[in-house]
Amino acid sequence: MLYRETGDFKTSYLKDQQTFPIKSERYLFWALILVAFFVVPFFVNDYWEKSVLVPFLVWAMIALGLNILTGYCGQVSLGTGGFMAVGAFACYKLMTAFPDLNIMIVIVLSGAVTACVGVLFGLPSLRIKGFYLAVATLAAQFFLVWMFNKFAWFYNYSASGQITAPERTVFGYAVTGPSAAPWATYLACLSIVFVFAWIARNLTRGRVGRSWMAMRDMDIAAEIMGVSPFAAKLSAFAISSFYIGVGGAMFFSIYLGAAEVTEAFGIDKSFDALFIIIIGGLGSILGSFLGAAFIILFPVLLKNVMVNAWGWPTDLAAHIEIMTVGALIMFFLIFEPHGLAQIWRLTKEKLRLWPFPH
Amino acid sequence: MSPAFLYFVETVLNGLMAGVMYSLVALGFVLIFKASGIFNFAQGVMALFAALTLVGLQTGQVPFAHLINAIFGTEVHHFGWELPSIFAILGTLAVMVAFAYLFEVLVLKHLVNQEPIILFMATIGLAYFLEGFGDLMWGADIKTLDIGIPSGGSFWLEDVTREWAVEGADYYGMYIDKLDVVAAIVAIVLVVALTMFSQYTATGRALRAVADDHQAALSVGISLRSIWVIVWSIAGFVALVAGIMWGAKSGVQFSLSLIALKALPVLILGGFTSIPGAIVGGLIIGVGEKLAELYIGPLVGGAIENWFAYVVALAFLLFRPQGLFGEKIIERV
Amino acid sequence: MNAPFDPKKLGIPAPEFTLSAHEDGVAKGDVLLNVENVSLSFGGVRAIQDVSFDIRKGEVRAIIGPNGAGKTSMLNVINGFYHPQQGTITYRGEQRKAMRSTAAAKQGISRTFQNIALFKGMSTLDNIMTGRITLQKRGLFWQALWHGPAAREDLEHRRAVEHIIDFLEIQHIRKTPVGRLPYGLQKRVELGRALAAEPALLLLDEPMAGMNLEEKEDMSRFILDVNHQFGTTIALIEHDMGVVMDISDRVVVLDYGRKIGDGTPDEVSKNQNVIDAYLGVPHE
Repeated sequence: MLYRETGDFKTSYLKDQQTFPIKSERYLFWALILVAFFVVPFFVNDYWEKSVLVPFLVWAMIALGLNILTGYCGQVSLGTGGFMAVGAFACYKLMTAFPDLNIMIVIVLSGAVTACVGVLFGLPSLRIKGFYLAVATLAAQFFLVWMFNKFAWFYNYSASGQITAPERTVFGYAVTGPSAAPWATYLACLSIVFVFAWIARNLTRGRVGRSWMAMRDMDIAAEIMGVSPFAAKLSAFAISSFYIGVGGAMFFSIYLGAAEVTEAFGIDKSFDALFIIIIGGLGSILGSFLGAAFIILFPVLLKNVMVNAWGWPTDLAAHIEIMTVGALIMFFLIFEPHGLAQIWRLTKEKLRLWPFPH
Repeated sequence: MSPAFLYFVETVLNGLMAGVMYSLVALGFVLIFKASGIFNFAQGVMALFAALTLVGLQTGQVPFAHLINAIFGTEVHHFGWELPSIFAILGTLAVMVAFAYLFEVLVLKHLVNQEPIILFMATIGLAYFLEGFGDLMWGADIKTLDIGIPSGGSFWLEDVTREWAVEGADYYGMYIDKLDVVAAIVAIVLVVALTMFSQYTATGRALRAVADDHQAALSVGISLRSIWVIVWSIAGFVALVAGIMWGAKSGVQFSLSLIALKALPVLILGGFTSIPGAIVGGLIIGVGEKLAELYIGPLVGGAIENWFAYVVALAFLLFRPQGLFGEKIIERV
Repeated sequence: MNAPFDPKKLGIPAPEFTLSAHEDGVAKGDVLLNVENVSLSFGGVRAIQDVSFDIRKGEVRAIIGPNGAGKTSMLNVINGFYHPQQGTITYRGEQRKAMRSTAAAKQGISRTFQNIALFKGMSTLDNIMTGRITLQKRGLFWQALWHGPAAREDLEHRRAVEHIIDFLEIQHIRKTPVGRLPYGLQKRVELGRALAAEPALLLLDEPMAGMNLEEKEDMSRFILDVNHQFGTTIALIEHDMGVVMDISDRVVVLDYGRKIGDGTPDEVSKNQNVIDAYLGVPHE
């Protein structure tokens, strides 16, 4: 009853391949987008912006990147934190070297820089597979963090080793820096994520996406069929690193404002990103968003319940949170390896028939 | 002998010792990988958990004290007794066996036919779970672990080696920690025992059968599940030994779990399925790291120990993916 | 065997779909692929020893032999997946150097696998679409934009793939993830994926393994249709002697990596060496 599909026949391949083949779903999606762009900015306050919306958007961007590499192309990477750092430092150097350059262009350029670095560290994937590759990406993670710490040129020789984002504006409104309004940062992040999520959807629905998935599922058979492992894997690394770099740039300039490399871009970030895509759903655009929402909202929920409602000490809440995340990972891997996205898909299938049983 | 040469020897020896410590952790990985094809990312956290349990039992801590206090508003922390080390060790072993059993029943059994990457990610989940659980059970503050292993430098060794230096040189003798020597001996004993167990006992044979081919092992009546419980228990024991050594050396704290990450380059060098490989790999990494820090470090600003092992591992992966002792992989289609 | 189905003779409009992407100027009946003195070893194991045979354009060539004879290895060599230590392979008149399998695919060699190698994470449609990958050209930039040239190209290929889906009668499982399909249908989807590349030479590795009689008849019909309707040259490994005798034009027999028979099915079935090999009579 919720879905009215009668009479909605597909008369062309084009219509068959739409992202939202069911009319009611399409309308719902666009309604949500309209609300997100035109309604939410009027209601967003500092708390929601800083604790929920901006981190959600930033992590969704990063998750999109890692999902392309690990979910679609099957190359496990534990180097996400290091690549975020590349994006952040590229952003910082560009911001300070070219103060007149628009922040949006700076962020995209940071992504491009990270893409080049990503291709470099992705070269081993041509010889190494599986979790051996994960180890190689760990090399990238540790090396990059060390490099940004060691060579003071990266943080412009500041005494603290920290990088701080100067204020930048878009259309006259501050988007980075301490005086940026919540609605401005929110809209900036939303626009970036919207555009790149659309691009990600386009890439994964066509030839490129299929070549990635073929590499993931049966790399030898794929090669025999003509999928070039070189092109598939390196394009996955390049595009994935671009997204993670943009995410890292956003993470530093819009969300954090200031960062110190070892604590902001350590290996825990790599694990966070991996958890987001496992819980959200490997190989799913929607999953990246669901997983990011989960990782952001879950600690907030736990904190509100345990600390505010029950009065428990915060370190206790932190331990329980880590424990529950770990348990949830194992739970999802056992019962729903395709994550929240699959649960959503199955619910939709049921809803298409509801209230009829079959 | 010149001080420079003596420094070199000292660095090599210390590197060997550090390598042995890595091997202790790598051994746990090899065992589990051999028997179930799972790369157990949680091995480091298992070592931490084992060490925490040991100290907790030794000092008579109340498990979950923090949680109980929060719920009931009480203020309990210790039972008041102190357990002799040997009982604490046995108690911890019992806990690790129970953990192995629970993990097999609740998680492993359900993931039997999944791809290796899924199993690997499940162990990452396990690592997080166990970390939170361990903190919840015993508290996250740093603890000292002392079961009576001698530690510190040896004055005798320092005196002897000072004599070897050239006349008038500014040399104070070699510093080699007694704890490291004990760890080396323990590791060698453990490797020999495990190798003999695997080669000469019926259970060891069953383990090797399971590692080779699950289906074939099942067809001759070997119970996959009990083998897994046994293997994870042994890995738990190895984790306990590693936890004791590392814990005695640098205290029982979160960073202990990160030694798992160090074990990865060791495994790549030595091969994921070779017990002697874990030792050799560990030694090479240990010595390599220390020598690199000594000679290459000053050229690039130091602290390269953090990533040097990984770069070595990466180089190995590119030229000899199966490690020094692993089997060559032939792709079949 | 019945005379091939020729729509022109019957006055019916010819099907608009052909597997002609790799039209190569080699006339029907001429040698398409020539294997000369090929030897392949893995370490100490000699998988193929000094084997020579040819495959003529437009024929159905069966490769048979007891288990372990080196048949799949031979296909892997033709594919470019294994590189023989000795011998040459001449394809379309050009001698091949050691080439990567992607290059072989681009030259129109396509195959199915003994243990099904479908992409389990994708649907039937996506699997067969992946077969078109050597024919798709639009670069990364257009793919990122999707709407426009990339979408148009994808639709064209979708049309071709739908012809293959019709041909193999798998319309009803178009959107099903292949992991959920029964074994026989998976084999058919794999055939579809190999056909999607519009190959000049189609290699089939035990396409009827594990099938019952009815499924075998269906698969034989499809293979014959591919050969007659589209003129595709086919090399197939098969254990079922009845199938081999029925559908193949010529047969190569391998045993312990050596060739022990080569000729029409009748000639080969009367060859004493072949009979001995199958009965297990040891030879020096």
